[in-house]
Amino acid sequence: MGADSEEKRVGVFICHCGLNIAAVVDVKKVAEWVRKLPHVVFVRENIYTCSETGQAQIYQDIKEHKLNRVVVASCSPRMHEPTFQKVLEKAGLNPFLFEMANIREQCSWVHGHDKESATLKAFDLIRASVSKVVRDEPVEKIRQEVKKEALVIGGGVAGMNAALLLANAGIKTHLVEKNPSIGGHMAMLDKTFPTLDCSICILGPKMVEVGKHPNINLITYAEVIDVEGEVGNFRVKVRKKPRYVDVDKCVACGDCAEKCPVKLPDEFNRGMTIRKAIYIQLPQAVPAAYLIEEEHCLRLKTLKKGGKEVCGLCLKACERDAINFDDKEEIIELNVGAVIIATGFEIYDPSQEPKYGYRRFPNVVTQLDFERILNADGPTKGELRRPSDNKPIKRIAFIQCVGSRNEREKGAGRYCSRVCCMITAKQAFMIKEHEPDVEVYVYYIDMRTAGKGFEEFYQRGRKEGITFLRGKPGKIEEDPETHNLILVAEDMDTGVLLKNEVDMVVLATGLRPPQGLVELAQKFHLSRSEDGFLMEAHPKLRPAETPIDGVYLAGCVQFPKDIPDSVAQAGNAAANALGLLSKDYIEMTPLHPVIDLEKCIGCGLCEINCPYKAIRVVKTEKGKKAEVIEIACKGCGVCGASCPEGAIEMKYYSDKGIEAMIDALLEKKEVEV
Amino acid sequence: MEQVIKISELDKNFKYQILKEPGGEGLLKCFACGTCTASCPVREVDEKFNPRKIIRMAILGMKKEVLENEFIWLCAGCYICQERCPQDVRITDLMGALRNIAVKEGFIHPSFVAQIDFLHKFGRLYEVTEFDNKKRVKNGLPEIKHMPEEIQKIFEETGVAKFVEGEQ
Repeated sequence: MGADSEEKRVGVFICHCGLNIAAVVDVKKVAEWVRKLPHVVFVRENIYTCSETGQAQIYQDIKEHKLNRVVVASCSPRMHEPTFQKVLEKAGLNPFLFEMANIREQCSWVHGHDKESATLKAFDLIRASVSKVVRDEPVEKIRQEVKKEALVIGGGVAGMNAALLLANAGIKTHLVEKNPSIGGHMAMLDKTFPTLDCSICILGPKMVEVGKHPNINLITYAEVIDVEGEVGNFRVKVRKKPRYVDVDKCVACGDCAEKCPVKLPDEFNRGMTIRKAIYIQLPQAVPAAYLIEEEHCLRLKTLKKGGKEVCGLCLKACERDAINFDDKEEIIELNVGAVIIATGFEIYDPSQEPKYGYRRFPNVVTQLDFERILNADGPTKGELRRPSDNKPIKRIAFIQCVGSRNEREKGAGRYCSRVCCMITAKQAFMIKEHEPDVEVYVYYIDMRTAGKGFEEFYQRGRKEGITFLRGKPGKIEEDPETHNLILVAEDMDTGVLLKNEVDMVVLATGLRPPQGLVELAQKFHLSRSEDGFLMEAHPKLRPAETPIDGVYLAGCVQFPKDIPDSVAQAGNAAANALGLLSKDYIEMTPLHPVIDLEKCIGCGLCEINCPYKAIRVVKTEKGKKAEVIEIACKGCGVCGASCPEGAIEMKYYSDKGIEAMIDALLEKKEVEV
Repeated sequence: MEQVIKISELDKNFKYQILKEPGGEGLLKCFACGTCTASCPVREVDEKFNPRKIIRMAILGMKKEVLENEFIWLCAGCYICQERCPQDVRITDLMGALRNIAVKEGFIHPSFVAQIDFLHKFGRLYEVTEFDNKKRVKNGLPEIKHMPEEIQKIFEETGVAKFVEGEQ
């Protein structure tokens, strides 16, 4: 490249960012000082460097002043580094002969109280960038073939919609679901707010479409166990648990379950009904097939212990010969270009707060439990009856913000889960629709009903005679004789203390990150937000993308949201994945480590520390030496930092470049404010 | 008011009774924003009158407390709250509905009882004495006679008669 021999001609562009920078930093003065720095041949001030005009000027100035290095002093590189790198490329310069000095976030925004020092600091930051840019060397791009298949993890409403969009666009899509059937939480709901559509009636056809789509490879009862590779070329291992029932032969007649002697609580009805060890998750399951739960089946348990082939009643009952006790776990290897994560949420377990008596008092239930009570396939066949004695409900209370808006909770428990107010409004309305004479009381802090048709729905609920009380009960007490529940709360609107004896209490429980999300995030090297859900690339402008290229988010795995928002984000994620998968190749600039074999002593610290298995120690003629596996490397730099011999240099972030920046920052300034 | 009020002892049908009374149709739309109370010129001079609180008490079923209390009679009928209410509860009309229910249920403010007595006895809101009539004649005006019979008939028909002293 001749980077050392050629004359270094640095152009510096200093941004006012409107008044974001210029109100604090004396840009004109900084520009004067920067002009005197070695190698700087051109300096320009811009009001908005990132604007089209600003970018065009950089291009022109590169040409006119024969610049071969560029520094932009403006905002955080996180937003606009790629913007300016593209300008350099267009002007024929390698995009890594470029530095950004952050004089906004790291200077003007935080030092508004001391303009003189801020001006000096801005100069320091620019001086450091100039020192590095003259030591930067070009980094060449490599081309990566894009594998035109996608993986969607999670088969709830978000994952299903994302998979359908991709499949309809002609992309071979693998949908991995941990449960025996797709459908997710939405399949458990009775109705949806605010339109009161029957949930399974609108979801069921989608589930069938997913199951039958020629471009969708549905892998249920399975989980992702290993991920390698990068954008355009992820290699994912999926473990599919044995069902012991042939999905193609089973017609879901249920003869097997009738005979099965093992009774278990049915998770789909939140433990309020009984299922067997051979069961179907829900009547509308996709795939529409039974399965045997290994841990509870008498025969499988006995066989595992080396015993005989016992029971087998299902085997005899099945006329289709669908049951196969020899079924084995399967490891499926997928190779995909893009991944959408849509693993949803789980609800808060209110038994953690003894004051509510959940699980102690049979008539205290969660919203999700109550969905099943309202549902025709639920424990009461849709009749309003309470768990303790199956008596009709005459008076019922809802308590809002259980496990939400609670500073004593960690993460997601501290904020509003967004959906619970409307779920309560819907369930209360459904009660009035079933039985208009039932008295319904809603104890709330704020009723939050922002969304299309939501406010109107809340008003409709009030007009139906649902009593909304501002004020939460301190605790729930139970009358041990009747199992009635007693609530005392202040009605803040009148200031009176109200005692309410009700037949049943529904707790509006918040949403939490699902179990296993930590492990899944680690496999993809994704960050989680403070609340434990997965973090997006930008909360406003890139809500469905992650900082890892080629990995996208859909639905509640990012943050609690309702069905319309989950579907919208699924569309966003699918559109992003399609944008990637529509390319045959993507260009990448791998900022790999470069190993100085003379210095390397083959100690293997880099191999131990690399989170991507991208560096290893191999035997060479000169002894043990480290070797980089370029395709797996993400350029994080951990190896470089951990090398005790200084034998590993990162491209672009070279030791000499960083040291030059530090020296420049500490150098005495020959300027006066 | 009692220290703790039991909801089971409140009247859960009171709110539906109000909905059926002309003027009371908007009751349940209220979401307790307080615009009415903040706009009320009566509330400015007398804290007993708080329309937001009266509405909430009505929704909760505190029938006795609402109907027996003098506050429902304090509304001046200026309609400012009605103009400003974001939920179109029609509060001034609602206060009228509450007073009508109160009367039907046998609750009435003492100041109105006195007026009814006068109306019942004299057919008008004050007694015309012999002294008044003498002055009228002196000034060339005709004498006024008490003719309460027709008013009394109206009182019988509308049920107001039961509030007349000594008639109950």
